[in-house]
Amino acid sequence: MRARRWEALLWLGPSLALIGGVVVYPAVALIRASLGRYSITGVYQGSVGVDNYARLLEQPALPTVLVNTAVWVVAVVAVTVVVSLALAQLLNHDFAGRALVRWALIVPWAASLIMTAKLFVWIYDYYFGALNYVLTSLGVLARPVDWLGEDATVMAAMMAVGIFVSLPFTTYVLLAGLASIPGDVYEAARVDGASTWAAYRRVTLPLLKPALLVAVVLNVIYVFNSFPIVWTLNDRNPGFGHDTMITYMYKIAFKSALRDIGLAAALGVVNVLLILLAVVAYLRTVRWDDADAVAPART
Amino acid sequence: MLTRLLVVVLAATALASACARGGGPSITVVIAEYSKDHTRPFWQALVEQYGKQGGAKVDLRIIDWNTIDQQVSTMIQNNQPPDVLNLNSFSSYARDGLLYAADDVLSSTTRDDFLEAFARGGQYQGKLYGLPILSSARAFFYNRDLFAKAGLAGPPKTWDELVQAAKKLQALGDGVIGYALPLGPEEAQAEWAIWMWNGGGDWKAGDTWAINSEPNVRTLGFLSDLANRHRVTQVNPGKTNRTDGAFQLFKDGKVGMVIGFSPLAKQLDAEGKVKYGVAEMPTTLARPVTLGVEDYLMAFKKKDNREAVKKFLDLYYQPDNITRWITAEGFLPVTKSGLERMRANAALKPYLDALPNARLVPTTDPAWDRVKLDVQQTIGLAVQPGGNPKQVLDQLQRNAVAAAAR
Repeated sequence: MRARRWEALLWLGPSLALIGGVVVYPAVALIRASLGRYSITGVYQGSVGVDNYARLLEQPALPTVLVNTAVWVVAVVAVTVVVSLALAQLLNHDFAGRALVRWALIVPWAASLIMTAKLFVWIYDYYFGALNYVLTSLGVLARPVDWLGEDATVMAAMMAVGIFVSLPFTTYVLLAGLASIPGDVYEAARVDGASTWAAYRRVTLPLLKPALLVAVVLNVIYVFNSFPIVWTLNDRNPGFGHDTMITYMYKIAFKSALRDIGLAAALGVVNVLLILLAVVAYLRTVRWDDADAVAPART
Repeated sequence: MLTRLLVVVLAATALASACARGGGPSITVVIAEYSKDHTRPFWQALVEQYGKQGGAKVDLRIIDWNTIDQQVSTMIQNNQPPDVLNLNSFSSYARDGLLYAADDVLSSTTRDDFLEAFARGGQYQGKLYGLPILSSARAFFYNRDLFAKAGLAGPPKTWDELVQAAKKLQALGDGVIGYALPLGPEEAQAEWAIWMWNGGGDWKAGDTWAINSEPNVRTLGFLSDLANRHRVTQVNPGKTNRTDGAFQLFKDGKVGMVIGFSPLAKQLDAEGKVKYGVAEMPTTLARPVTLGVEDYLMAFKKKDNREAVKKFLDLYYQPDNITRWITAEGFLPVTKSGLERMRANAALKPYLDALPNARLVPTTDPAWDRVKLDVQQTIGLAVQPGGNPKQVLDQLQRNAVAAAAR
């Protein structure tokens, strides 16, 4: 019996080692760093306890960055999911060229985020950009707009890119969800005299809930942690006015006068807790909704 | 079973690290990537030459400027600093006691060959730690075709002339920009330094920071006026970076005037699209001032690495080697022998002439490493509509004083 236990450990060993090395060790290192003081060069100068966390709360930019992050995550995920629902519905139907569209949808997913972001920097450019050219030519705009320079448009411009790159994954998750809905439930709905819209609302959406849940939770995590888009599209703007928690953390560590590894690590720990909290809160809300909304349908 | 597994893992790790070390002594050399075409080939060849002369094994890492601060910081956090490092700052490393002084790792002939100003720019508390690796000097670029079209005889010499010239250029219409002003985060401290000096101000007065001095407030007000009152700059100058902003517009022939440097000239020559002239900076002073930029090599104190590092550095500083690289990258010399050799190149004349009068930013002060980042992240806000130059400079001054006290 004892020998069998060792054997099990041997089989589990590689994955345990991987989890230890990739998940546990970095987490421990992050927490340790968040309790330390570092010189600007990176030399460790001893422990400061929770001082870094206290200083984090004093940072004048923190409220702005928190609001930015909330707006960024909520808007990108919400729009992504709504558009993906429509796209998945479309791709679930048979039409000429469906395979082509399905492939085309993968492209933004397959391209490197930095490349995509750089591409959009040029599309948005005030002087050379395609967007201004098209909009002014069509007469939509009287004069070009500095999409990435104006405070009013930066966030929206970044969100558009965030949505663009999130669509493929989300659409495919929902498409898989649609594919798993058996055809006979629709038949039953039709026999009961349900309109297309009613069938979608009362049959498709409830049955799609598991896929939707996965899509939302994973997207919240991805979008919250997204670095390249905000970093690349916002690199011309001084200060922290359009940063999210993730780019703010990087700036604290390396690109601002703070240059403080300890403080950045503290923010890193806060980020992990924040995202955990958000996901748990979301799951609880949804399950509670679930019980209410689905119960009458079952009767 | 578990113990045996552990032994295997440990043995494998030991083997891997032994392979990485290759048995003999080895040094890690970290170089910033100045260009895709020239940096790696030169250093790779230098490493081979070093190997042939019986030098240690070299782990050469070429790192792009965007991530080099982060990567070096990580190396030091993990207690694995490089042996030789190339960067644009050095004094914080010297203050932390990580570096060899030049006396320990350079032969006296090499040390004596450094140009005076650059040797001074590498000193921390009276000792040379930051070994000059190359330099550059900014100069005032103007588009000759646009100047001719606007009926301008030559480059402006004073700030009033600059405003007049910029207005005439801007009046050409068709998207022509008078002066391209990049005060976005990429290199704002350089653009600001040149204007600041020519407005009669400075970073410091004696040993204390003087960022919000009266002349500096006036100068930043002048730049804000260029953007918001005269409207002769590109859109949102406080949010325009140098390389993909101001330089790109100048290379596209849209800009009348911009502050550039020799690598920009090299690109313009290669593209052949813009006819440009190079002049001295317009100024409010009797003589124009320009910015000299010095980058550094540093030698990290590690056990038993002094001889290997010394040999490597002396090889780089052989006049043939250093001049070959600096020429290839389009930068300027830091040694007397290099200056002699590069004088023959007529294209470099305006920069070489400017070099002796060029001023350096205060890299010798460890507080500078924070001040620089602070300027990059805030000064652009002062020239945006509604920005307040005095307020921005006051804040920078307060932060600089605090950084100096750390």
